[in-house]
Amino acid sequence: MRMAFAVLNPFAGVLVFVTTMLAFSASPHAQQPDAVAISVKGHHFQPAEIRAPANRPLILRVKNLDATPMEFESVSLRVEKVVAPGGEGVINIRPLAPGRYEFMDDFHQETRGTLIVQ
Amino acid sequence: MTRATARLLDHRLAYLGAAAAILATVVRSEAQDDSAFHEIETKYIFGFTIGSSVGLEGEKAFEPITVGRFGKRTGTYAATETVLEYEFTPNQYMQIELGPTVSYYNVHNVTDIADRSMASLNGFVGEFRYLVLDRGLSPFAVTFAAEPEWRSRDETTGEKVVNYELETRVEADAELIKNRLFLGLNLLYEPETTRADLGAWSNESTFGTSAALAFQIIPKVVVGAELWYLRHYEGLAFSTFTGDAVFLGPTFYWKISPKILVSAAWNTQVAGHETGSVSALNLMDFSRQRARLLLEFEF
Repeated sequence: MRMAFAVLNPFAGVLVFVTTMLAFSASPHAQQPDAVAISVKGHHFQPAEIRAPANRPLILRVKNLDATPMEFESVSLRVEKVVAPGGEGVINIRPLAPGRYEFMDDFHQETRGTLIVQ
Repeated sequence: MTRATARLLDHRLAYLGAAAAILATVVRSEAQDDSAFHEIETKYIFGFTIGSSVGLEGEKAFEPITVGRFGKRTGTYAATETVLEYEFTPNQYMQIELGPTVSYYNVHNVTDIADRSMASLNGFVGEFRYLVLDRGLSPFAVTFAAEPEWRSRDETTGEKVVNYELETRVEADAELIKNRLFLGLNLLYEPETTRADLGAWSNESTFGTSAALAFQIIPKVVVGAELWYLRHYEGLAFSTFTGDAVFLGPTFYWKISPKILVSAAWNTQVAGHETGSVSALNLMDFSRQRARLLLEFEF
């Protein structure tokens, strides 16, 4: 019995860790998110530079006005979303610290923009 | 100077030379156009040292990861473990990885280990990572990781066993030069318990710490070096110290295409100590060399 506990104990720790992770991850943002819209046309973001307030959740609406699909992607924002031609992608972004956050179209990597959070 | 000491010195000089070459490249490449360099995920740029990145929300990938250990004091020794891993990122804070493991052993004339040449489906591993501190709020980003694993064959010898291991890590990194130079730091605690056929359970644990530098030398290609210090104990909580080792080696990362990357590392044991032995290396608890090769296919 004691040995079974010794074996299970580390895994019980993992269970607690994962449950805690999920609880934190699933907790809804208390604040109402701000919304920012951006579009892609001719494989250029319009506008290429967008702004948002710091420490508030954000909803980014990405319209793809091109005839080919695009994938909105950002390493620092930690999001990616494929948007069909003529479609709109809605991306939820966590509250961010002030700074510059790069984003791009992963299918056309020369298509780049910046989110300035202040 | 003994032959062993001379060989150790040669190794160290070779690594110093490699470090100097990397530094020279860093200085030369300062002249390059910085606008060509964009942000990269840090998880796989440091070799055995794992960076803090937890991926992009919604991202899914298949990752075969092979870790090989080579060389004991006598004979021929090679043991590899490949994880065929499915990785996904359910939100902007956590990442989950799951997959079976396949092991390969090629052991001949190694003291205290039976000869063996075989491959086997070995067990199953999961990995749960949670980002606790974001860069921007601090110079360092920090992720906690827990990696439980079950094995049906001993990782070192290939003997039939029941083995449970829980690798836990604190993974931290900082961006020293924007999009170019990165520092990675890991803390490792890895308890495990093993039962040989019909035998008693035996516990052991490993504690480790590492530091790594990684430099994006040309866009999407990162080279670097890492240093690991590992301590091995009998017992789950540092009961009896059996030895320690220092590993040093180069690292490489290449984002081949938007959805494919490769990461590789080679570590050599440059110093070590076994309790009760005067040997310059610890080849009882650790191997002479170790390597890590990872491919990622995002879909």
